[in-house]
Amino acid sequence: MLKIKYFIQQSWLLIVSSFFFGLLIAATNYALSERIEWNKTEKSNNLTGALLPKTKPELAIELEIDSLGGKKEKVKIYKAVTKAGECIGWSFNAIGPGFQDKIELVVAVDKNFEKIAGFNVLASNETPRVGDRIKDDYYRDQFKSAPVDVLKLVKTGKPEKIDSEIVAITGATVSSEAVVKIINNSLLQIKKQMLEKGLISNDK
Amino acid sequence: MTNKSDTKAGLYKETLIAGLWRENPVFRLVLGMCPTLAVTAAVKPALTMGLSVVFVLVCSNIVVSLMRNLLKPHLRILMFTLTIATFVTIADLFLKAFLPRMSETLGPYVPLIIVNCIIICRAEACASKNTLGISIIDAIGMGAGFTLVLCVLASVRELLSTGKVFEVQLMPDAFVPWAAMSMPVGAFLTLGLMLGLVNMVTKRKI
Repeated sequence: MLKIKYFIQQSWLLIVSSFFFGLLIAATNYALSERIEWNKTEKSNNLTGALLPKTKPELAIELEIDSLGGKKEKVKIYKAVTKAGECIGWSFNAIGPGFQDKIELVVAVDKNFEKIAGFNVLASNETPRVGDRIKDDYYRDQFKSAPVDVLKLVKTGKPEKIDSEIVAITGATVSSEAVVKIINNSLLQIKKQMLEKGLISNDK
Repeated sequence: MTNKSDTKAGLYKETLIAGLWRENPVFRLVLGMCPTLAVTAAVKPALTMGLSVVFVLVCSNIVVSLMRNLLKPHLRILMFTLTIATFVTIADLFLKAFLPRMSETLGPYVPLIIVNCIIICRAEACASKNTLGISIIDAIGMGAGFTLVLCVLASVRELLSTGKVFEVQLMPDAFVPWAAMSMPVGAFLTLGLMLGLVNMVTKRKI
């Protein structure tokens, strides 16, 4: 009993403060979480819009895939719809480990999941001017119109040649490889599930 | 009465100026080096970081000063950290909500304000021993001193690495950008030269 009394005497301020500060953070988070989520969605939509111009993303389905870390993760698949209501492609977010931190990408593909429309970096903390160059057109353009197949990273080659070989950025092989791995991992799993669910077909 | 008021005003003035020059956290106390080196590649992120530190410093000094008589000596650092962490989390949420691009630019350096020595130093050296008024003035002075140094450092680096300050072109077209100034080496070089300059000026005054 004395021990409990001593404990309370010593730590009551800490307990009360923890409760009060926790409440303060919870209230701030409650007030701002909607805006923070809106910011994220807006950024994702803008990046998707840059890959599939003149379209509006519409949530089509939520799929479960194996992440690169071995865990199951849910991925929202968006249908890119034109003003006339025609679907011209699909987009989704893909996450995986980079050189310094996680890399989050927005990946877009054509309507039959045959060609990649491109990718944009949603979030990354790669080394500035080194790994950060995954955002550069030189690297990103290699993915535009590349086949939805297992992409392979090569150290030398012609970046302007559009095929399943992606030429790594000099001095940033780890970041270049991370992007290829993230896209490979999500793209093929999503395509398989979309075929199974009849959302896309093999007909050309 | 007049004398007392004069003394109080003088004390406030002295406390405010101390943070700006005599006890400047970066130049004189050499504290808070992590953000000083990491976010000074451009003025905008430096200013945002500085203002975030001012907000956290003022809020934590207010809370610590108000609870100074209730603090147990062996639990005081824990209380300071808890207080600072709360306000840093709030500042981080505000940046994510209202300045999302800046929040991304600053990355992990906003949450890292929790371990910024300047804030815990002011809580220990000033707020836990002084009245609310002095604690607030001290926080403003120290925060302003920190922000000012960050902005000066960032101006030099941004000017030499891009030819611009605050995204306004200042250098002529013939200027060749010095890319190294936006990299860590530029931060160390500029800070080292500035510290040397400040030491030289201070020595001459003595």
